[in-house]
Amino acid sequence: MMCEAGDHPGPDGQESAAPAFSALLEDSAEDLYEHAPCGYLSTLLDGTIAKINATLLGWLGYERDEVVGRRRFAELLTVGGRIYHETHFAPLLRMQGELGGVAFELKAADGTRLPVLVTSTVKTGSDGQAQLIRTTIFDARDRRAYEQELLRAREEAERERDRVQRLVRTLQQTLLPPALAEVPGMQVAAYYHPASADEVGGDFYDLFPLTGDTWGFFLGDVSGKGAAAAVVTSLTRYTLRAAAVHDPDPATVLHRLNTVLHREYRGADPRYCTVIHGHIRPDGDGAAVTLATGGHPPALLIRADGTSAFLDLPGGQLVGALPNARFAAMDVLLTPGDTLLLYTDGLTEARTQGRVRYSEEQLQQHLTGLAPTTAPAVITAVTGLLAGFGDGVEDDTALLALSIPLPGGDRP
Amino acid sequence: MTGPPFSVATRPSGTGPVITVEGELDVATAPRLRAGIAALVLERGQLLVVDLAGVTFCDSSGISALIAARNVAEAAGAGVALVAVPARLSRTFGLIGLAGFFPTYASAEDAFRG
Repeated sequence: MMCEAGDHPGPDGQESAAPAFSALLEDSAEDLYEHAPCGYLSTLLDGTIAKINATLLGWLGYERDEVVGRRRFAELLTVGGRIYHETHFAPLLRMQGELGGVAFELKAADGTRLPVLVTSTVKTGSDGQAQLIRTTIFDARDRRAYEQELLRAREEAERERDRVQRLVRTLQQTLLPPALAEVPGMQVAAYYHPASADEVGGDFYDLFPLTGDTWGFFLGDVSGKGAAAAVVTSLTRYTLRAAAVHDPDPATVLHRLNTVLHREYRGADPRYCTVIHGHIRPDGDGAAVTLATGGHPPALLIRADGTSAFLDLPGGQLVGALPNARFAAMDVLLTPGDTLLLYTDGLTEARTQGRVRYSEEQLQQHLTGLAPTTAPAVITAVTGLLAGFGDGVEDDTALLALSIPLPGGDRP
Repeated sequence: MTGPPFSVATRPSGTGPVITVEGELDVATAPRLRAGIAALVLERGQLLVVDLAGVTFCDSSGISALIAARNVAEAAGAGVALVAVPARLSRTFGLIGLAGFFPTYASAEDAFRG
């Protein structure tokens, strides 16, 4: 209450300071109004400008008599602003009696635009009737520049994110075969479900020719995610492919992989993988399969007759963690209508509803009903399941299925 | 994304540090167990006890952290023991061939007695 200090000087000898103070403020009300660091505007209820200060006139580049009694406030706005004013600002102001901090753009006499923040109050008479609208207008050029800077930074971040995702996709593709080899007399299908677009997953699979009548395949999961895991995935894939060519025994191939990984990664940051590696040799109307596992969830065999079984290979240890890991192998014969499914634990550890996780038993139950089935049909069924889990699939999931068609068509 | 509660706590004992893990040990939480292991001061001949009674889930990242615990203990000339391993995790250990890899005990007291 500075004015009161001037009008009623204190009794304790400060009168000498008060008149000078007062003199400074003498004609300040009008001066403050005209040259305040913000625009002042009073309009009639229909928006016609009744009073405007020099600051705002200066911003707009108009003479006083060009606007007072001649223009409405909305006419000072850009077209978009005018629409917003008529449809939102004015009705809300009538309803609430005041409205603050709304961003508009003013159109100056020379056509330039000035970003502003507008605050209005409705002045009412003693009878409660609205008389006029008082408006203050703040220059928001700095703020607009700041917002544009923010927007630019966000666009930059989004471009960066796109770049990362492209890189991740490309890297992921190099870790998966572009196309699966064809095995005569068999159907094969595979699927890769990445859990994240920002990080390379650690799942991998491949199917490739070995000798004239034998094909090799593997599917596995490297611990961890991201670039560090991708390095291990890459090393694992190439080691497996090279070792499989030289050694006809899948368990021996896993031993070689174990040696390579364990030498490379031991200590406080161990890296390992779980993997199923096998050979398949078409034989008569079926195929002979040899499987070796290193700590991987068991393959599911769905027989033509509607029975199914997990091919447990007890004792197979994860690959790369231990110096002298043990691996187990088994032989199984596929006959027409049989399907063998290899999968990673992204599937069997997915959360189905909230915290409940899917299980191998549920998977078995779900897929056994399809028998006799085919590799593509099983992959379609499981990808449908995964889609149903939505965000519940927290880890990458790789699927590889091999089947022997029944005579007389793909589908029984 | 916030998952279920998870905690890692370390306390000293007469025979060496005891790490108690509670909650879901997965790709999101395993780094906290790893950090706990990295912060340990282990002396030759000590026993690192990892109490898993409160672990409700453990994926490959969690198993990596446990293998790291064993590697770190071995490098320091110390031993490692898992106590109160939940049934599902025991099954996983069986599946990945680690059933005999970690000495396991029913309780920390059993582990201290060896």
